[in-house]
Amino acid sequence: MTNASPEALLALSNVNTFYGQAQVHFDLSISVARGHIVCLLGGNASGKSTTMKIILGLVKPRSGEVTFDGASLVGLTTPQIVRRGIASVPEARRLFAEMSVRENILMGAFVRNDREAIAQDLDRMLTLFPKLGQRLSQRAGSLSGGEQQMVAMARALMSRPRMIVMDEPTMGLSPLYVDRVLELIRTINQEGVSVFMVEQNASLALEIAHEAYVLQTGKIVLSGPARALKDDPRVRDAYLGGSEAA
Amino acid sequence: MSSWLDYTINGLIVGNVYALVAVGLALIFGVSRLINFAQGSIYLVGAYIGWVAVVQLHTPLPLTIIVVAAAAALVGLIIERFGLRPLQNSVRIAPLLATIGISFVLDQLVMLTFSPNPRALPSQLPDVRFQVGGGTIGPLDLLIAGVGITSALLLFVFLRYSKLGWAVRAASQDRDAAMQMGVDVNRVNQAVFGIAAALGGVSGMLVGMYYNQIDTAMSLQATLKGVVAEVVGGAGNVPGAVVGSLLLGLVESYGVAVFGTSYRNLFAFLLLVVVLVLRPNGLFASARQAPPEPLTGTFIAPSRPVRIPRWALAVAAAIFAILPLFPVSFYVLQTLINAWLLGMLALSLTLVAGTIGQVSLGHAALLAIGAYTSALLSLTFAVPVGLAIIGGGLMSAALGTTLISPSFRLRGHYVSIATLAIGEIVSLVILNWESVTRGPIGISGIPPLSLFGYDLISPTSIYWFSLSVMVVLALLQGRLLTSHLGRSFRAIRDDDIAARAYGLSLNRYKSLAFIFGGFAAGISGGIAAHLYSYINHETFNTQQSILALTVVILGGLGNVVGAILGSVALVGLPEMFRIAAEYRILIYGIVLLLLVRFRPQGLLGTI
Ligand SMILES: Nc1ncnc2c1ncn2[C@@H]1O[C@H](COP(=O)(O)OP(=O)(O)OP(=O)(O)O)[C@@H](O)[C@H]1O
Ligand SMILES: [Mg+2]
Repeated sequence: MTNASPEALLALSNVNTFYGQAQVHFDLSISVARGHIVCLLGGNASGKSTTMKIILGLVKPRSGEVTFDGASLVGLTTPQIVRRGIASVPEARRLFAEMSVRENILMGAFVRNDREAIAQDLDRMLTLFPKLGQRLSQRAGSLSGGEQQMVAMARALMSRPRMIVMDEPTMGLSPLYVDRVLELIRTINQEGVSVFMVEQNASLALEIAHEAYVLQTGKIVLSGPARALKDDPRVRDAYLGGSEAA
Repeated sequence: MSSWLDYTINGLIVGNVYALVAVGLALIFGVSRLINFAQGSIYLVGAYIGWVAVVQLHTPLPLTIIVVAAAAALVGLIIERFGLRPLQNSVRIAPLLATIGISFVLDQLVMLTFSPNPRALPSQLPDVRFQVGGGTIGPLDLLIAGVGITSALLLFVFLRYSKLGWAVRAASQDRDAAMQMGVDVNRVNQAVFGIAAALGGVSGMLVGMYYNQIDTAMSLQATLKGVVAEVVGGAGNVPGAVVGSLLLGLVESYGVAVFGTSYRNLFAFLLLVVVLVLRPNGLFASARQAPPEPLTGTFIAPSRPVRIPRWALAVAAAIFAILPLFPVSFYVLQTLINAWLLGMLALSLTLVAGTIGQVSLGHAALLAIGAYTSALLSLTFAVPVGLAIIGGGLMSAALGTTLISPSFRLRGHYVSIATLAIGEIVSLVILNWESVTRGPIGISGIPPLSLFGYDLISPTSIYWFSLSVMVVLALLQGRLLTSHLGRSFRAIRDDDIAARAYGLSLNRYKSLAFIFGGFAAGISGGIAAHLYSYINHETFNTQQSILALTVVILGGLGNVVGAILGSVALVGLPEMFRIAAEYRILIYGIVLLLLVRFRPQGLLGTI
């Protein structure tokens, strides 16, 4: 278990989360170093999305601490947390289906007020995601899954975040789009944005991540540099619920 | 009014007024997935503020509109802040019940301030009419159309070009995702409640001017019409609400043209039921679109019921049974008889709303069916009263279940709307079906209660009779709850999708619940008819449906003993403290609000 190091941008320490009576996290500790891509692996219902919701303040932990840039996030509302510089690409993308692509991307800049810079950033998104250019006035709900993923990523970037949290960004995408998304995550990261991503597809995620954690029924069972975990046979077993690893 | 063009103009003008209410409902539903039953009360408040402004302060028309909009918006903001925001994390039924409670409190406050007598609200506009084609149009028509179009434009600009408007749209499409963009949902809620209330208030004022009359009955009618228009247009769909309103206005106007004024509301509710059954997502939703969220999931606060030992119940029953042997006043017995009759209705509702999770807001209709059946059987066919009452129970079970069956496929809030509408339809059919129900005159000279040829005239015998009927019904229902059938009911309430997956037929079980519940309510109505000796279409009204709901929530949803305890408490306590009749409904509203906020599981807990 890694303890929050001083240079960590985001740190969860000893988080316990409950839905009613059911405990979802057991003393969860995760840290994301500044400028890194950190990946959380785990099987279905292991508590990955709940970890995202804890970071974003959509679910409150019963105990434990969540800090961002040294300051506690516990007790802040989601909008307050977003204003601290965390953007998100939610599970299943969650675009505003009835709004246009342009409006969706601009919604990402909701916390900003600098009109001109926002317009410039919109142009920048169109160079980063060239396919969206022809789709700007189309209803977001009518896009393909891969295109929606692009919009969700552009939307997240529009707040000029210091960190992006992503929940299964490659889910349901064709291999072509999966490669494209991973490449984009790397690009985003190289521009200085830290990334915390939840994934089921370990081999893909470990290719771009710096560090990774493996979550199994609410407990971290493995963690370390991605390079080391890539060849670890326990990775596969652990998040698929194999008992050998426990 | 004569020509078709006149009816069309009238339909569009009335539709415009409905639109002001329905658009607000749609905005609120979009953001909160809540049907705001207090919308009509804000409309009422708007009408009376308009009256104060026009009649007492003599404000000019533009100023009147601004004053009404601002004051109504303030009321909306207060409702949002103190009535609904504290309930954000409670069970899904809580905000719905809270808006019902708020609406009763507001209506009663208006009634207590201004008296229930109708007042005239002059429009201050010249009384001229211009000839247009084959019809005529007056300045007030133009004002209403102008306010409607202006509001629609302002709303469009707000939603399309302002930052808060974007937040409203985003939140209504995906609340969580909007929060993750930094949208403060509380501010969005405030905005929509403020806007909805301003529009609703202005609408109430315009209607008052249109008919040159305002009274407190406007409130419920406005809520109902607004809800009809909104659901027809598709819940949460703002442009849909406008189209739904105009359609409703036209349907009503043409209906009145063909059949007469007393059919106006009947057409409105029939339109609602037809739309709910055929296109529950509204006329404009694509068929494969998933229904909005409140149709899914559990609806009721689970809790651990308070265990009451059997002997304690037996002792309590015995004490109430021997009560008339002691020197208690006629007045006490009378009060308790009312409590037992309400208890039967509450047993019925607690089964339907609590055990199987269909929150019915039209339960008084079952009383009415039982009462009319029993009264007519004994009067017209000379059926002995005891048998006639059972006939009333059976008719209520059969007819009630048949009428409500179209709503079986609906869930959550939609069941409440459908039952409310069905309740109104029953009352309107009674009003209009003169050859059978004697219409507005009502039925008088209903023979008194009797059993096996013996008249039950003395309060003591009536007391025993009603107490024993209620106890028998309660025992039966208690058995039902512990049986396999009762468990199936609860399984459907808790997760109807899973229940269906286990092979439970939802329609069959819902029918069974309504059959049993309809019987109990019909018996209560039947006894009441013979007790009152006179009934009409207003004897069993929505207020009683809401009172029964308050009783059931006070006792704990699904809880048999709770239903009886709640009835005794809500009938008995106001009598004990000699609270004047006009304050009682206010108190029921406040009780409902406090319960929802502080003890949603009721006194004895849900089962
Ligand atoms: N709102 C909720 N209320 C109750 N239980 C919940 C809720 N959300 C999630 N859970 C439960 O918590 C557990 C963890 O859920 P979570 O969504 O975090 O899993 P996950 O790892 O993201 O799974 P998946 O890979 O399927 O997305 C699951 O057992 C789930 O059923
Ligand atoms: Mg998940």
